Amino acid sequence: MDLITIAFYFFSALTIVFGAVVVFTKNIMHAAFSLLFAFFGIAGLYVLLSADFLAITQIMIYIGGILVLIIFGVMLTTRITGVDVKTGKIGKIQIGIAGLLTVLIAATLIMIFSTSKWYLADSKPLDSTVNEIGTALLTNYLLAFEAASMLLLIAIVGAAFIARKKH
Amino acid sequence: MMDISDLIKSISLFKPETTLIVTFMLAMILDMAFKKSKNIAGYIAIAGLVIAGIFLFQQTGVNYKAFANLLVIDSFGQFMKFIVLMSSLIIIVFSFFSNELHNAHTKLGEYYTLIIGMTFGMFLLVGSANLIMIYVAIETMSISSYVLAGYTREVKRASEASLKYVIFGAVSSGIMIYGISILFGLTGSLNLFEINQFLSVNNVATLPLLLSGLMILSGFGYKISAVPFHFWTPDVYEGAPVTITAYLSVASKAAGFAVLLRFFKTGLLDSVPGTSEAWQLLGNIDWHYVIAVLAVLTMTLGNLVAVWQTNMKRLLAYSSIAHAGYLLMAVSVMNDNGVSAVLIYFVFYMLMNLGAFFVVQLIANKLDSENIDEYNGLGYRSPVLAVCMTVFLISLAGLPPTSGFIGKLYVFSSVINSGYIWLAIIGVLNSVVSLYYYAKIIRNMYLRDVESAKTKLVFSPVTIAIVLMLAIPSLLFGVYFTPIVEWANYSMNIFVGN
Amino acid sequence: MISEFGIILLYFILGFVFVGIALVAAYFIRPSHPNAIKNSTYECGEIPIGEPWVRFNVRFYVIALIFLLFDVEVVFLLPWAIVFKGLGWFAFIEMIIFVVILLVGFAYVWGKGDLDWERPKPYIAKLSDLVIGKKKQ
Repeated sequence: MDLITIAFYFFSALTIVFGAVVVFTKNIMHAAFSLLFAFFGIAGLYVLLSADFLAITQIMIYIGGILVLIIFGVMLTTRITGVDVKTGKIGKIQIGIAGLLTVLIAATLIMIFSTSKWYLADSKPLDSTVNEIGTALLTNYLLAFEAASMLLLIAIVGAAFIARKKH
Repeated sequence: MMDISDLIKSISLFKPETTLIVTFMLAMILDMAFKKSKNIAGYIAIAGLVIAGIFLFQQTGVNYKAFANLLVIDSFGQFMKFIVLMSSLIIIVFSFFSNELHNAHTKLGEYYTLIIGMTFGMFLLVGSANLIMIYVAIETMSISSYVLAGYTREVKRASEASLKYVIFGAVSSGIMIYGISILFGLTGSLNLFEINQFLSVNNVATLPLLLSGLMILSGFGYKISAVPFHFWTPDVYEGAPVTITAYLSVASKAAGFAVLLRFFKTGLLDSVPGTSEAWQLLGNIDWHYVIAVLAVLTMTLGNLVAVWQTNMKRLLAYSSIAHAGYLLMAVSVMNDNGVSAVLIYFVFYMLMNLGAFFVVQLIANKLDSENIDEYNGLGYRSPVLAVCMTVFLISLAGLPPTSGFIGKLYVFSSVINSGYIWLAIIGVLNSVVSLYYYAKIIRNMYLRDVESAKTKLVFSPVTIAIVLMLAIPSLLFGVYFTPIVEWANYSMNIFVGN
Repeated sequence: MISEFGIILLYFILGFVFVGIALVAAYFIRPSHPNAIKNSTYECGEIPIGEPWVRFNVRFYVIALIFLLFDVEVVFLLPWAIVFKGLGWFAFIEMIIFVVILLVGFAYVWGKGDLDWERPKPYIAKLSDLVIGKKKQ
């Protein structure tokens, strides 16, 4: 096993273990902080795939932005420890159906991922991807890029409106 | 490097959308600048929509792939954009008369700006020919609609509606983007034209293609509230302000259907010449049946559940699910006649559905309730309104001599012409069921609680005029429908490039 | 082959490992005599009252929300800055449009007072509050 393979397993394990903690812990504060490590693991996986810009974005937006927002959101609630996320009773039938669906979807996806013939791009040594992403954003994906600014503007207006107490 | 001449032409064809962006910003800034005037953002929005409509009209007959194939400008898109534009205009006019909005807020600046933002998102969605663009457009319209659904925040059910809408929306767009990633993995492209080319040359395994298609459909299905993805519809429709409910039921659906049709025709059509009658789709998947099953589920569930509703907004929510089912039926035949039927149906559906919601809004303004029993004796308390409501409901039920009948006629004939007799029979049976709950309201209005006729409900002449402006065309198009049909037949060809 | 960012990542990992080694080594070397008073929360000599988790004010959230949206904008600025030299004026105008659209959003949140830090208005007790029989406001 070379270094990259070891790093891959390390980051995968990091993501999965902390992802499991997010789902199963009763303390939502712990869940929020575990999410940090799960996000970090994903950023590591991006780096291993030579998607350096994506990794930086992952760290900047998910860890630096969304996670801070989630932690603030958690701190806005009155009770942090011992919150039971489940509400109401979940019957055995529902769990059965959900479990069956999960297994079915997982099996289908695993089958598809292992057997399909995927499109393979020409393999060329990848340098920094930021250059290519920048050029694509400003030429071929220009409209999507400008539309994204409009999307952000709408999000700013909407978010500020909803979060505001009164006018 | 980008082709500059393509860019310049693209920008000149992007004028309607540019107008909407400028309108959005102007409405926002001027609303802050003029603190005293209540509806200034609304007036600017109307002006912007009218100008955008003029620019849109100038694009008649243009077929162009703009912005390096990100956006398609064609007559099909133009038709759908007009539907979106008209409903946005009508909704803004409705909002001027909405008590629930004006009671909740002293100023409605964000409300009108977000409607413009949503219109912009839908314009993009109607024209998108790239999966990234589709995603950005869907998010733009979704985020605006989440805020609009919960605009009257102080009302508990409105915030609940907004939250449910966000959660379901996030899940469905998450599933959609997963599907997009699988499709990208299979074909190596996000561009619908390139996906089409790749699929026509290479052989792609059926199962992953089916799975990714279904996942992408879940995103579109959420927007048109087709059945497995409809769970949000009743609660959101009930909790949101009536104007927004009406808006979501028409404009949002129009954009959803436009992108659905474009996805199939641009992305999956086998462009072998001589297949003009029925689209030959790439990949060995029978999408006809997938959509037909969705259509049957959607209309049956919508109609059967609508029968039990006592809240008018919920009833109309389920009825709009049922109408999405009829429209899906026309999509499932997968040919140009089906597209034409969808277009025709949308014009009439816009008139009758917006009209019905406006009546609900006016009644709620006076009586502060949307319960179906409040309509008892309406035929005597406000004869004009009751007659108009009857027209809308008969039209929704699809009976002659209203426009709804013509719409259904074209949908069913496109289905029968393609040989799906079983589907048409299920559709007709559904229409019979729908007749029951529409007739129930009409019965309440004329045959129940006649004593209350003493307390007349007085509505301002302007509002009555608006209702009439929707009711008269609903009747008129039932008799004289040639222009709409001709326009739809002209617009039914979705531009697939060369 | 490991990319430039891979090197940075290795640097991160080494950093974590180094800190880990230091902590583990400290654990073995340091004397350890805990007692109840040592383990209690240090509050300037006062005995702590209540839960350490306090409810945050919603205004932190509003600021964080607005921050996040501009954070996304900055992410778009980064690749633009790198290719700017090659594309020249063309890229400049595109970015100006992008930034102006977002500046309108910034003007909006500023104009609506979402960035104003609401100062808490503590109730300062007056002498008259002490008069028996009169209720505090």
